[in-house]
Amino acid sequence: MSEVVLRTEKVAKVYMMGKREVRALSDLDLQVNKGEFIAIMGPSGSGKTTLLNVLGCLDKPTAGKVILDGVDVSNMPEREACKIRRDKIGFIFQTFNLLPYLNARENVELPMESTKRSKSERSTRARELLKLVGLSGREDHRPQRLSAGEQQRVAIARAMANDPAIILADEPTGNLDSENKYEIVRLLANLNINQGTTVVMVTHDSQAASHTERMLLLRDGKIAKEKQGLHSMKKKLICPYCGNKIQTTDQRCPNCKKRL
Amino acid sequence: MSVGAFTRAIRNISRRKIRALLVIVALSFSLAIMISIPAGVVANQESAQKLDQNYNSTILATEEQINQTTTLIEVSSSSGAGIFSRNFTAPAPGSYNFSGSPGGFGGYGGSFVSRTPSYLNKSIVGNVSAVAGIAAIVPSLTVSSSDTIQQTISTPRGDFTINRPLYTITGVSLNSSLDDEYPILPADIVSGTNLNETSTDTDVVLMSLNLTEYYGVGVGGQVTLDGTAFTVAGIYNPTDQGSLETRGVYMSLNDAQILTDNVGNVSTLDVYAANASIVDSVNTQIQTMYSSEIQAGAMSVTTYSDRLANLENEQAVYTDTLNSAESTVAQTQSVAAQEIIVALVATSLIVLFVMLYTVRERTREIGTLKAIGFSSWSIMKQFMLEGVILSLAAGLVGIGIGTVGASALSGVLLPSINPFGSRGGGFGGGFVFALSSGSASSSSSAVVTPMVMLLALGAAVVLGAVGSLYPAWRASRTRPAEAMRYE
Repeated sequence: MSEVVLRTEKVAKVYMMGKREVRALSDLDLQVNKGEFIAIMGPSGSGKTTLLNVLGCLDKPTAGKVILDGVDVSNMPEREACKIRRDKIGFIFQTFNLLPYLNARENVELPMESTKRSKSERSTRARELLKLVGLSGREDHRPQRLSAGEQQRVAIARAMANDPAIILADEPTGNLDSENKYEIVRLLANLNINQGTTVVMVTHDSQAASHTERMLLLRDGKIAKEKQGLHSMKKKLICPYCGNKIQTTDQRCPNCKKRL
Repeated sequence: MSVGAFTRAIRNISRRKIRALLVIVALSFSLAIMISIPAGVVANQESAQKLDQNYNSTILATEEQINQTTTLIEVSSSSGAGIFSRNFTAPAPGSYNFSGSPGGFGGYGGSFVSRTPSYLNKSIVGNVSAVAGIAAIVPSLTVSSSDTIQQTISTPRGDFTINRPLYTITGVSLNSSLDDEYPILPADIVSGTNLNETSTDTDVVLMSLNLTEYYGVGVGGQVTLDGTAFTVAGIYNPTDQGSLETRGVYMSLNDAQILTDNVGNVSTLDVYAANASIVDSVNTQIQTMYSSEIQAGAMSVTTYSDRLANLENEQAVYTDTLNSAESTVAQTQSVAAQEIIVALVATSLIVLFVMLYTVRERTREIGTLKAIGFSSWSIMKQFMLEGVILSLAAGLVGIGIGTVGASALSGVLLPSINPFGSRGGGFGGGFVFALSSGSASSSSSAVVTPMVMLLALGAAVVLGAVGSLYPAWRASRTRPAEAMRYE
């Protein structure tokens, strides 16, 4: 039985839209195991972003519990919630959300600012992470000098800065062209395999979602459907298309030549 | 090296350079106003004090001189040459040439300007001497040069320049039997000899110290006035005659008449009654003799009591000026207080609005920072820091502007002391003006002290903090979920 990183118990979120009550999440139960790579899909208004906000301690549920790394975070005061976000969660945004006046390395160092790490440790760690996402040599570039794909890589490195229990990605491929989309999903998948990073990715994009392990379909604030993704095969180093043996470094299956 | 909150604040400010610049300029003006106002208040107080000191010394000296001449009846060629014509050899206001209005009043003989519009014929001496009870008659001729010298006068309202006659000639009848008893010559001889002690009366002058300095001559030296060479017999100190910057030249009446093309003319006749009790009767007889001239305003006859009355008028004018100066100082203080409060509020408001705008503009950035683990407090600190850095930068610029432009700024912002008083103009105005200009030329204008500069920097920090308090608090309350609003 694998360790549970994140679990929700009958989580509900109700908004008031004027006088109308909107149930964005309704008694949702979800379990994310350590080392999983999950996609949450669903049509607009199905509650994807609300779920991500609640999971990420950005918003409080109206009812139910969110247990992250064994701690109930559902009603945590902001003073503590910010520490949970800093230490346990890594966020990736659709629009990357890098600080334009900081270079790549400084952006990656940001979440480490109020931690115990020394300045030199932060700097070293930021360099390592940028190397990990394939941005060696671009540490001193500011966001405007990086391509969209590169900016999202910096954002991924930033999300991993404090070695979080889980990475929450909100439409990470939403602002990228198809080539970069593939690269980013592949990067997340590889980090999942090589670093054991747990990733929950909200996406519209079924192709991107298909590269995860488990796809959850959200409808009316509930998980309506669950499906296996290609990633579960790749994790076992088997080509999901032809069943041939593959390496993590392979970009294409040596046998069927399909993109992995 | 990791980037701290301070560096982030600096980089954020420099990201929008034009805005930062505008804010700093706007803030720096408020701060410049703040520092120049106290300087202006101090300058006004000093001016008022100087005015007061001059008032006392001058009025007292004049009174003393008037009191020494109880038997004197002064017969002058016009009503304009009042009491101060003899006691103060400075020109009456009629002959002031303010720049921009060229030409003296009643110009005479090219190089000289009459201090009075007309002269008395020397025949008057014979006529007056027929009056009973007269001990002595001392005729004199006073003429100002049409050559002028520019004098800059600093007042709290700013500097301005007036043209004054380069020198004023007084021709004195050098009758040795009268000189000691009925003094008309200056007494304070610095070097050389007085005119009544020279071996010759011709082509010698007694000159004021400031004029000999101007010409660079000493006793025994030659000086050329309107083409005629004179030998300097003696030098006198004009400063004991009030604060007027007197540039006087004394010579024999004869020399003065020839030099100024006034042969046969005198401007003043000092008539001494044999004793104080008959002054009134002598006066009445002279007045009767020349009643038509007096009526026409071509001649004036003043006695001790007239001069005393005139002095009282002058005192009243001067008291007015002093009172108005004092009320200006009081007014200055309340205006200054109001303006400083306005500047303080304006500074805070500028910081407030700019920082509010910045916070609104950067909602997503703030949301992101919170999402990746920044505490509300660290967000608050970040924005306070930006506000303080902005106002501190403005403070430094403001100190620069304020120090350079303190006089100009406080002149615009504060009421300044009017050297002419509330009923300025006329002779009294000129008198008072002469006094206050004498003081103003040595007075200080608004100066910013290091203490005021330090206070201004402190104020900049405090106002920056106060102004950015609410925006920073707003920033700290931003919901982290704002990070995921992509529109």
